[in-house]
Amino acid sequence: MDKYLEMIRIRFLMMLAYRTNYYTGILIYSINIGAYYFLWSAIYGEKDAIEGMSVIQMSTYVAVAWMARAFYFNNIDREMAAEIKEGKVAVELIRPYNYLGMKTMQGLGEGVFRLFFFSVPGMVIVSFIFPLQFSADLTTWLFFAVSILLSFFINTQINLLTGITTFFLFNNTGLIRAKRVVIDLFSGLLIPISFFPNWAQDILKYLPFQGISYVPSMIFTNSFSNNEAIQAIILQGVWVIILVIPIQILWVIAKKQLIIQGG
Amino acid sequence: MFYIRIFFQYVAQYMKTRMQYRADLFVEIFSDLLFQAVNLIFILVVFGHTNLLGGWTRDEIIFIYGFFLVPYALFSSFFNIWDFNERYIVKGELDRILTRPIHSLFQIVLERMELESLFGAVTGIAVMFYAGNSLGLKLSWADPFLFLLFVLGGMLVYGGIFIMIACISFWADARTSIMPMMYNIGNYGRYPVDIYNSVIRFVLTWVLPFAFVGVYPAAFFLGKEEWFLYSFLTPVIGIVFFGISILIWNSGVKRYRGAGN
Amino acid sequence: MKDAITVRNLKKEFKAYSSRSGLKGAFRDLLTRNYKIVPAVNDISFNVKQGEMVGYIGENGAGKSTTIKMLTGILTPTSGGVIVNGMNPHRDREKFVSTIGVVFGQRSQLWWDIAVQESFRLLKKVYKVSDEQYESHMAHVIKTLDIEPLLDKPVRKLSLGQRMRCELAAALIHNPPLLFLDEPTIGLDVLVKLRIREFLKEINKKYNTTILLTTHDLTDIEALCERVVMLDDGKVIYDGALKSLKEKWGEGKEIEFQFLEEVELADLNKITASSEVKWEKDEKKAIFTAVVEDDDELISLLIAKVVAALKIKDINIKETSTEEIIRNIYDRGIS
Ligand SMILES: Nc1ncnc2c1ncn2[C@@H]1O[C@H](COP(=O)(O)OP(=O)(O)OP(=O)(O)O)[C@@H](O)[C@H]1O
Ligand SMILES: [Mg+2]
Repeated sequence: MDKYLEMIRIRFLMMLAYRTNYYTGILIYSINIGAYYFLWSAIYGEKDAIEGMSVIQMSTYVAVAWMARAFYFNNIDREMAAEIKEGKVAVELIRPYNYLGMKTMQGLGEGVFRLFFFSVPGMVIVSFIFPLQFSADLTTWLFFAVSILLSFFINTQINLLTGITTFFLFNNTGLIRAKRVVIDLFSGLLIPISFFPNWAQDILKYLPFQGISYVPSMIFTNSFSNNEAIQAIILQGVWVIILVIPIQILWVIAKKQLIIQGG
Repeated sequence: MFYIRIFFQYVAQYMKTRMQYRADLFVEIFSDLLFQAVNLIFILVVFGHTNLLGGWTRDEIIFIYGFFLVPYALFSSFFNIWDFNERYIVKGELDRILTRPIHSLFQIVLERMELESLFGAVTGIAVMFYAGNSLGLKLSWADPFLFLLFVLGGMLVYGGIFIMIACISFWADARTSIMPMMYNIGNYGRYPVDIYNSVIRFVLTWVLPFAFVGVYPAAFFLGKEEWFLYSFLTPVIGIVFFGISILIWNSGVKRYRGAGN
Repeated sequence: MKDAITVRNLKKEFKAYSSRSGLKGAFRDLLTRNYKIVPAVNDISFNVKQGEMVGYIGENGAGKSTTIKMLTGILTPTSGGVIVNGMNPHRDREKFVSTIGVVFGQRSQLWWDIAVQESFRLLKKVYKVSDEQYESHMAHVIKTLDIEPLLDKPVRKLSLGQRMRCELAAALIHNPPLLFLDEPTIGLDVLVKLRIREFLKEINKKYNTTILLTTHDLTDIEALCERVVMLDDGKVIYDGALKSLKEKWGEGKEIEFQFLEEVELADLNKITASSEVKWEKDEKKAIFTAVVEDDDELISLLIAKVVAALKIKDINIKETSTEEIIRNIYDRGIS
């Protein structure tokens, strides 16, 4: 366990070294949030509520969705692709740890860093500029905390899956990019899932993506009742468990391939 | 003249290498298409809940998006220098560039071009025709020429901004993530700027003039006369921003410190 | 003859950032960072004449590459003047670089993904070389460097020695009158090294090409350069003929004796008491070394004395190698 904690710490220090990222990053995320805020204000126009969400809930949704993205988002799929192509993975495999676990911990180190240096101050700044609504209810915060941790795991697992495909595809930068685009849309970052037409919602229900952004954001904005929140979190947890299966299968096949081809 | 010849030399070279990896090419074009589709889906879903967006109809918004795709495609084909800092500064590839008798920025443009992105222009024009058709827009003889002029202006705006951001690497030695995020901001030129508050509108018009890549020039073809002045400013802003970016680049290269071995 | 390179009081300073240690240090770095100004090249001056081959040597980090980068227009000097081929390298960069060729041994100048000959063809256009010029000149270069069979391979698939020969050919496409080579023989085997040296000598003779060369392999310098410029800590500490460097700092000659009988150092000292000589003994091999001034008279006198007194198994007269001289200078500095 020690070595995994150490990995989190090292990532944390590495992120600190790239300090200019955070001065500019917060500013630019704020602009991003701002633009969506205005877009949604224009969409709402005179309406009080769409799909049961008020304008204020909507702007809070946008803000928290983006700031949570700073936490769960990472590039470990691209890093894996690079490491696999450069043949470094073979070296990683003989080290005394689980490669995928290590990658996850690196992502977590990065995420924790961004949570404290990016998301939290960013959220404070954004709340001065735009009218947001924070819940006074402790259970909401508790649910939210559990939920974004789970969204981190779902997103990271999907990244691991995409990263492993590098073993089988000659070049997967296109795939990685496509995955990112799909996640931004289907996770509910750009539009809450409840805004989609019903048939689309029915399909999305059976996909893991809404666990990444939609669920924690809906919890944060109090758009879910307690019951709905608990159900959604359980569903997130189920997805975390389900996703372990394809990762392990692909990983075993990939390792076999690595041995045969010599990386 | 020399530069044009060199340009085609590089294009020929590029084609040769790309054709070796045709599968990559398709995946790349496909993921571009996917990205464009996601943005269209966003517009469609949003208009499932409202009829007007700050006074603009669905088809008008789609038309603006279609227009935006064309200068954006040109931009991403030739000014794809988002990894300038890592590749040229940190790894010191600029050393090589600087020992060759062609303007350094031009060489980088040549080396980094990604012609497959031009495919986006086709999508863009198709989207414009679809939207223009449902809006009943008419094409006059001058339109194609103005379209070309505005598209080039928009490309220069985009190119100018990204070159300026790349130039930061000459002064600051830390890696910055401005570049990828700027792609996000660039997207706001796609929506009518009158839905934003006046500060953002000002920024998108004069500071980071992304509005000149989408809504302003597109407004001309949509016949929105109150925006015509801005539409015709497009090439001017493009030339001004691009010109400034070249000046900054030239003085930045003087400060290049090389990569320690 | 006109000077190919003129360097006056050239200086280049770098800001070196240092990061504080530990988590707390990293947080402080977030706000302010420590840096100090390091002079990499500190007030150097020298000239190189057209047609000269000059070896530019010095320890790691002495500032050799930095100088070359300023001479080739890659870096701007902090202060001082550089005139190369009659131009200011940085200001007139685009015009200037067509008159020079550059090879950085540590870094490829060729395009990684494309075949070598495609690179050549592109460079030919870039340097505006006519077909006739190219044919007559490059055919020869390709033959001498023996890279014909490599031409259709992409650069990334070449071995180091193969790549380096191609790099050299690429730097010569426009047949420049001045060639900068920064560690061109790093990591190469003896045969490739020899071939490259022969080739450089040849173009120097044929086209009167000026060559400035940095290397850590002093045999390169001995084979190619009459003149060396030695750099230490950003300062020129020696500039002159390689020969006089040897004469000045070569510590005389060493004569090694092995004897058939048991001999003590004291005996030898007694025998040669009248000469200026220092005796050393290698206990294990029973080799006695006499260190004397490099003077033929003195040496033969000494040998005569020893031979007259003792039975000899083997004698060996050794000159101090350039390597040793340079090592001594690096160790002790010039005093
Ligand atoms: N881009 C840079 N930024 C900061 N310091 C640098 C940079 N380039 C070089 N230096 C420093 O300048 C000094 C001289 O470096 P230079 O590369 O010129 O040495 P060198 O003589 O070529 O050494 P070597 O034999 O190892 O190649 C070194 O102390 C180095 O750390
Ligand atoms: Mg060096």
